[in-house]
Amino acid sequence: MNWKWEKEEEDSEKKRSVLLLLLILLLLIITIVMLLRRGKPGGNNTEANVPDGNISGGVGLVIDPNAENNPSYDNNNDAEQGVTIAGRKSITIPANKKEVSVDFYNPIENAELYYLTFELRLYNGDEQAYEVLYTSGLVAPGKYINRIKLSRELKKGVYDAVIHVQPYRMDDEKTLTNNADLKISLIVN
Amino acid sequence: MKRLLSVILFAAITLGTSFISLAAGDVITQDSQEKSGQITVDYNAEVSYTVTIPASVTFTDSEKNIERPLEVKDVMMNEGSTLSVNVASLNNYQMRCGEGYIDYKIMMNYATALEENNRNILSVNSGEKSGWAILSFVTDLNKNNAKYAGNYTDTLTFTVVIN
Repeated sequence: MNWKWEKEEEDSEKKRSVLLLLLILLLLIITIVMLLRRGKPGGNNTEANVPDGNISGGVGLVIDPNAENNPSYDNNNDAEQGVTIAGRKSITIPANKKEVSVDFYNPIENAELYYLTFELRLYNGDEQAYEVLYTSGLVAPGKYINRIKLSRELKKGVYDAVIHVQPYRMDDEKTLTNNADLKISLIVN
Repeated sequence: MKRLLSVILFAAITLGTSFISLAAGDVITQDSQEKSGQITVDYNAEVSYTVTIPASVTFTDSEKNIERPLEVKDVMMNEGSTLSVNVASLNNYQMRCGEGYIDYKIMMNYATALEENNRNILSVNSGEKSGWAILSFVTDLNKNNAKYAGNYTDTLTFTVVIN
C-alpha cells in the first residue's frame, strides 16, 4: 500500500516537472516570436516617402534603395559635420627606447567622413621650430595606433610636445581639411 | 529531479557565500578583537577631452556668411585647470590662389571678429564637462574681386591646451 502511495507521489512529481518544462518552453517560444516580429518589415512607421511621391515598400533595417540625395542640399551641408578629435594632457613613454606605446585614436564619430593622421612634434622653446618624432599613416574611424617607433630615443624628463592631427576627407582625392594641434607634456621616465 | 534541484541549490549557496567573503577581504569572527575592517576604493580619472572642429567652409556667390560650431565635450581635468582653444589662419584670414587673394573674417558668437592670428575662441574651466562657440565665416566677394580664376583656399589650425 505504502509502495503504491509512493509511486503515485513520484508520478505526480514527474507530471509537475513536465508541466513546468512545457511552461518554460512556451514562454521561450512567445519571446522569440515577439523579437522576430519587431524586426519584420511592413509597419506604417517603417515606410519612407521618397522624392517622386512613391511610397517605398518599407525594408526594415536595410538601407532603402529608393532614398535619393536632396538636390537642394548644398555642398556646405556635407562639411557641416565637423571633425572630432580625442585629446589628452600628457603621454608617458619609457626613456632610451624607440618603440613606445601611445593612444592615437580616430573617434567613431568620424565614421565615413574623415581619416586622421598623427604627427608627434617635439618643441624646444621655439614656437616655430620643432622636431618630428613620429608620423602615422591614415587612421580610419574607430581605429587607433598603439605601438609606434620614434625617430630617436629620449632621455628622462618632461618635454613640450604637440600632437598635430591632420584630417582627410574619405573621398577619392582624400582632401585635407582644417587641422588641430594638441599641446601635451611628453613625460619620459 | 529533486536530487538535481538540491545540487543546484547547494552550489548557488556555496558560490554566494564565497563571493561575500571575497568582497569583504578581511575575515571578522566573533573572536576577533577588532570588529571592523577596511578596504581601499580608488579610481584614476585621466585628463582627457574631445574637440570637434569645423572641417571646412565653402563660400559661393549666394553664401557669404556661413556658421560652424566648435564644440568641446567629455572634458575631464584637474581642479583649477582650464582648457583653451585658439585658432590660427595659415594666410592671415585670406583665401589664396597663387598671387590672388580674397579676404574673409571669422566672427565669434555673432560678436567679436578675429583679426589677429592665434586668438582664443573657447575656454572651459575645470568642473565643466563641455563648452561650445559659434564661428561665423564672412566674406564680401563683390568687394574683393578675385583677380584670377582658380580655387582660393586657406587652412585653419585649432590649438588645444590645458593649463
